Amino acid sequence: MSQSESTPKKTQIATGDRAILPKGAKTIPIFIMGKQYEVPETLTIMKAMEFAGFQFLRGAGCRGGICGACPTVYRMPNDYKIHFGLACQTVVEADMYLAQIPFYPANRAVYKLEDIEARPDMINALYPELFRCVACNNCTKACPMNVDVLGYISALKQGDIARAAEISFDCIQCGMCASRCMGEIPQYHIAQLARRMYGKYIMPKAEHLQKRVDEINAGKYDGLLEKLQKMSHEELEKLYKEREREPDLAPNGTWVPQDAQYL
Amino acid sequence: MKVTYYPGCTLKTKARNLEDSAVASMKALGVEMEELTRWNCCGAVHSLADDDLIHQVAPVRDLIRAMEQGSDAVVTLCSMCYNSLARANLIMKNDEVKRKTINDFMDEEKDYHGELEVLHFLNFIRDHVGWDKVREQVKVPLNDMKVAMYYGCTLVRPGNVSIEPIGDTKVMGEFLEALGATPVDFPMATTCCGSYQILGNPEAALDVSAAILESALARGAEAVILSCPLCEYNLAKTQGQLTEKQKLSKEVPVYYFTQLLALALGLDSEACRFDLNDHNCLNFLKSKSLVA
Amino acid sequence: MGYTPELKELIKRVEATRPKRLEMARKGENFPALTLEERAVVLEKFHPDYQKEGRRPVKTGPDKGLVLPEEVAMLLESRSMLRPEHVKLDKVDFDTDVLVIGAGGAGNSAALLAADAGCKVIMVTKLRHGDANTMMAEGGIQAAVHECDSPFYHYMDTIGGGHFTNQPDLVATLSHDAPLSINWLEGLGMMFNKHPDGRLVSRHFGGSSRKRMNSAGDMTGAEIMRVLRDEARSRSDQISTIEFTPAVELLIDEEGKCGGAILYNMETREFFICRAKATIIATGGNGRLHIKGFACTNHYGATMDGVVLCYRAGVGTTCMWSTQYHPTGVSYPEQNVGLLITEKVRGLGAHVLNVEGEQFCFPLEPRDVESAEIIKEALEVGKAVLTPTGRYGVWLDSPMIDMLHGEGTVRRELPAKFIQFERHGIDISKEPMLVYPTLHYQNGGIAIDGDCRTVIPGLYSAGECTGGVHGENRLMGNSLQDVITFGRRAGIVAAQYVNSGVEVKKLTMDHVVKYEKELAEAGVENPVVAPILLPDYSTDEVASRRLLQVQGMLEAE
Ligand SMILES: Cc1cc2nc3c(=O)[nH]c(=O)nc-3n(C[C@H](O)[C@H](O)[C@H](O)COP(=O)(O)OP(=O)(O)OC[C@H]3O[C@@H](n4cnc5c(N)ncnc54)[C@H](O)[C@@H]3O)c2cc1C
Ligand code: SF4
Ligand code: SF4
Ligand code: FES
Repeated sequence: MSQSESTPKKTQIATGDRAILPKGAKTIPIFIMGKQYEVPETLTIMKAMEFAGFQFLRGAGCRGGICGACPTVYRMPNDYKIHFGLACQTVVEADMYLAQIPFYPANRAVYKLEDIEARPDMINALYPELFRCVACNNCTKACPMNVDVLGYISALKQGDIARAAEISFDCIQCGMCASRCMGEIPQYHIAQLARRMYGKYIMPKAEHLQKRVDEINAGKYDGLLEKLQKMSHEELEKLYKEREREPDLAPNGTWVPQDAQYL
Repeated sequence: MKVTYYPGCTLKTKARNLEDSAVASMKALGVEMEELTRWNCCGAVHSLADDDLIHQVAPVRDLIRAMEQGSDAVVTLCSMCYNSLARANLIMKNDEVKRKTINDFMDEEKDYHGELEVLHFLNFIRDHVGWDKVREQVKVPLNDMKVAMYYGCTLVRPGNVSIEPIGDTKVMGEFLEALGATPVDFPMATTCCGSYQILGNPEAALDVSAAILESALARGAEAVILSCPLCEYNLAKTQGQLTEKQKLSKEVPVYYFTQLLALALGLDSEACRFDLNDHNCLNFLKSKSLVA
Repeated sequence: MGYTPELKELIKRVEATRPKRLEMARKGENFPALTLEERAVVLEKFHPDYQKEGRRPVKTGPDKGLVLPEEVAMLLESRSMLRPEHVKLDKVDFDTDVLVIGAGGAGNSAALLAADAGCKVIMVTKLRHGDANTMMAEGGIQAAVHECDSPFYHYMDTIGGGHFTNQPDLVATLSHDAPLSINWLEGLGMMFNKHPDGRLVSRHFGGSSRKRMNSAGDMTGAEIMRVLRDEARSRSDQISTIEFTPAVELLIDEEGKCGGAILYNMETREFFICRAKATIIATGGNGRLHIKGFACTNHYGATMDGVVLCYRAGVGTTCMWSTQYHPTGVSYPEQNVGLLITEKVRGLGAHVLNVEGEQFCFPLEPRDVESAEIIKEALEVGKAVLTPTGRYGVWLDSPMIDMLHGEGTVRRELPAKFIQFERHGIDISKEPMLVYPTLHYQNGGIAIDGDCRTVIPGLYSAGECTGGVHGENRLMGNSLQDVITFGRRAGIVAAQYVNSGVEVKKLTMDHVVKYEKELAEAGVENPVVAPILLPDYSTDEVASRRLLQVQGMLEAE
């Protein structure tokens, strides 16, 4: 307890992700599922909870705002609003009342992408509840990634798969939208289907890639790679130094190197 | 006055012929039509329950989007969209209590008080383009073509959103005359097509549809125009059944009004989109030598 | 929010030296770079990989005598969670063709390809399906897809970047399969960045001779992960995914073949016996060991489990001594700690400064040298900033960028970083950032051959948990490619092995008994229990009050 007093010269350094309460730092009260804890200000909800002694099993994944494992709802005193945030990205505020919602059940249709086509009516058939949307916008308000959820749901009702795919691209599938939906719609599952339809069937195919794949499958590079594996360090280093560098400003697919023997 | 165009979901999916022909026609007439950049479904069916405000949220949100885009009026093609937007607009304009509740609920948006006008396309052409201008631009007059004017219900009911006083509807007639066609009025012009009954109670819907078409035929109509994808479904897409089971005396070509406009303006098939109509539609026009 | 008043005070020192530094920069003058000899000294003394301190020979197992970081060596000298004599191995709870351990990029690719070959697959994972380092990769994925490039150049760049320490057969496999992997992902519906005609948008990266970095927005890994996860879910008839259930021990049959693993449901604390004809380890990296106390960029479950399980069973490692540190990880604000600040910031002219606002190093030294110099400034010179949350940091003077290249450059060139800081009230075009080296990637790992085989029949491995593909230094974009290429290979080769007719004989944990005996003989006292599964970030104070601790103290008395 009095470690810092007995060794006054040594400053305590936070290591890894463990939070500490440095000298002079203030603590604030937060209410985790209604129960009060004192935590250092400036921490994220996630680290504040860990500081308070919670060890996550659910509710923590990437710890970097991209996996959707840690959605959290909270309210502030004298404010009727429900706030939403990712526990790993949201900073604690004094007197916030919070609860994590690490999982929210949502209906996912069964499909095999290769058996379907990119047609709006295919989506409608798999997710007829799409048409239960009343445009209440609760989903958009709940989204911690600021995705225009109503926007992509509307785009799908309008049959615009490409637009829905683009609008929903930042979705991290945390499920907050579905938890708030009056129409009981699993928005993020529908968006996933739309994006895959778009990626597979609507976006133009990379023809040059198919050509390269055919070359590889025909064994075009097998000999070359075989040789490289047997090459001495010196030979490799020499070849490495001799590499030409594709000019920064050359548009993809335009530059022709002088040395074509290894292409 | 800045007018924004609200397309509606069905026009982007099943009723492309309604939208494509309208957009191409406006271009031909030199009328700029800016589409709403962000919009959601209009709610489709206006909710009749007095306290069911959530169903007003969708159309009101569209009106707010249009307001954000700096418009003074929203114009729609689909009769249903017209109906839901116009009725929601009236609530926001006139009902103080509901307006407050809806605005409070949508606290992430700007408040709305019915500032915008909601227009149907027919009225828009009449008031903002003018029949004279249309007449001037007609390249292929639809002479010798008798066309029944089917309003259906959502353009004219209830009275406070009717595009014209009920019982005194003229706009479709003026429209057809401007194109050179002969308008045919008929008793069932504003009778409901059966609407969503086609899903729950198809027989009843099909009976009404057959009766409507028969009524138009009886007045000598050769074709029908309308402005609603659901009416189009009931009156046109079901004709195989209508002739067989409901004993409709003969097939009747059914068009979106904007398709005849595009045709009369001399626009090509890409604009008219008869490919999305029943085959008899194209055959009829061929028989009149209006298309090759 | 934003910087505290104390830090704002310190920023004034940065601003005070800035005009002079800007003048220098405009004249093209720089803080002198180190000579090769000086580099060697600072690396030797301060780079965590070179330092003697904190490293020692591992006392047991296949790599006995190899000098490794303490945190790694300690886990290799660990004992099992289970007491083998109490485990009933004849009661099999799950029986499958292929068991995939870990559901990141490598695990999912392996599961899908094994399923393609007709195998029944169980994929177990520690957290949720997709909670993995793969999800976090932003930059991109390498593959020689354009006409001016070829697997030859991919091979050259990779092995040169790795200082020629890479395992040649693995590099050959990587560069050979890379375009096939991209083609596969495209077919699964991944939204790659493409030109309007469908040509992939590819960029240069550190150490590239050709533009080979393909991407999907600035969340390439997340897009890969989402697509693979969705595909695995679509194939639930063949692939059962079990979440929150890590593998904690391998099972070896009496013929010495791998015959599955013991699984642990972390939520109910039950153990299960899973018998499998083939087992694929795809457990990812070890950033969460926080070697030498460094923060890391990795996900919560990156604790080196796969290496531990294999090592105990007699599978050695390749390049395990080498770890990738990134010189500029965020050290403030706390919510961004460990996150990467791309090299581009320094490339655009931002200086690296100490607490006095003085330059102490050339900002564009190689990654390892730059990291060492920053660590030296903190530990030896004692001129690092101490953040309000108790971390070391040095200033990265980002406002210089706009001053050098014109207003708006920061926003345009570094949009994601700008937003990440703006969220916390810091405008990096006007205020400098606080950074410190951060653990990024486990360069070494389980020893495999070009077909992902380990020395134990029926045991395969792929992805970040393996070693040799990258040698001692990994190039950007090669690890995402690594996980797809070797994940797919592992799935194919494991399925071939299964389909050739394998029979798993009586299961044993003899290897565990044997290894623990070796530990005792080597004098390893109180070995830690591993795999550790998850890091524990509770404070010492909380930990000391926990019942087990208190009990332990009472017992000791
Ligand atoms: C922030 C960041 C940025 C990066 N950027 C790039 C980049 O731009 N380009 C690039 O090529 N690479 C990048 N990388 C590296 C790359 O993302 C990873 O090396 C790669 O994705 C690892 O994939 P994997 O499948 O081997 O492991 P992971 O994706 O980490 O998956 C391993 C899985 O195994 C699970 N697991 C662990 N232990 C057990 C157990 N005992 N039992 C069961 N399951 C277990 C884990 O929970 C996890 O789900 C980046 C990494 C990070 C962290
Ligand atoms: S769209 Fe839904 S699931 Fe996706 S990030 Fe937003 S709230 Fe989460
Ligand atoms: S929450 Fe549901 S009903 Fe409301 S707008 Fe979003 S999708 Fe529509
Ligand atoms: S832990 Fe992944 S988003 Fe927060």
